Amino acid sequence: MNADKVLDAKGLACPMPIVKTRKEMKELESGQILEILATDKGAKADMTAWAKSGGHELLDTQEEDGVLKFWIKKG
Amino acid sequence: MAGKTAIIASNGTLFDAYKVYNIATAAAASDHEVAIFFTFEGLNLINKEAYGQLPLPEGKEQIAEGFAKGNVPAIPELVEMAQELNVKFIGCQMTMDLFGLEKEAFVDGIDVGGAVTFLEFAKDADVTLTF
Repeated sequence: MNADKVLDAKGLACPMPIVKTRKEMKELESGQILEILATDKGAKADMTAWAKSGGHELLDTQEEDGVLKFWIKKG
Repeated sequence: MAGKTAIIASNGTLFDAYKVYNIATAAAASDHEVAIFFTFEGLNLINKEAYGQLPLPEGKEQIAEGFAKGNVPAIPELVEMAQELNVKFIGCQMTMDLFGLEKEAFVDGIDVGGAVTFLEFAKDADVTLTF
């Protein structure tokens, strides 16, 4: 999936992936897509909840070699 | 603002600091308006001399290694992040007086107030937590 920006949050513990995602998302325009890479297992549930609460759309999630990938479209 | 979160921090170990600041920064990152009322030992969490070297709870010293390995941000880093996210810090005047501490002993940008200051903020909060 084509992302407008990629955020590498690998190795970071809660709540850093969310804090960094918020920061990156602020820079994007509505409709643009942010790809996030994380290794914090809690991010799976947290990203879903965060996107929902902020009115964004979680387009897809994948897991590859212990790295979680998220694609979120800015609402 | 998506919501409002009011937190009371009344304990002063490293565990307490993580509980308070993780929830506060996560709430702020989810566009909540957030205020933390620091009272009694909770004042350690914003005390310039203490907050960088908070003790582990008694008997839990072996967890120090887990913190080092877990890539968890240091408390001063979380404080800075919370302030960047506009989390409001309120120091409890009454306990500051009891402990003989002035506003200058604490990180910059705190407000000092009493119980009513916090209650005024918390009365219409969506989430209220005590640590």
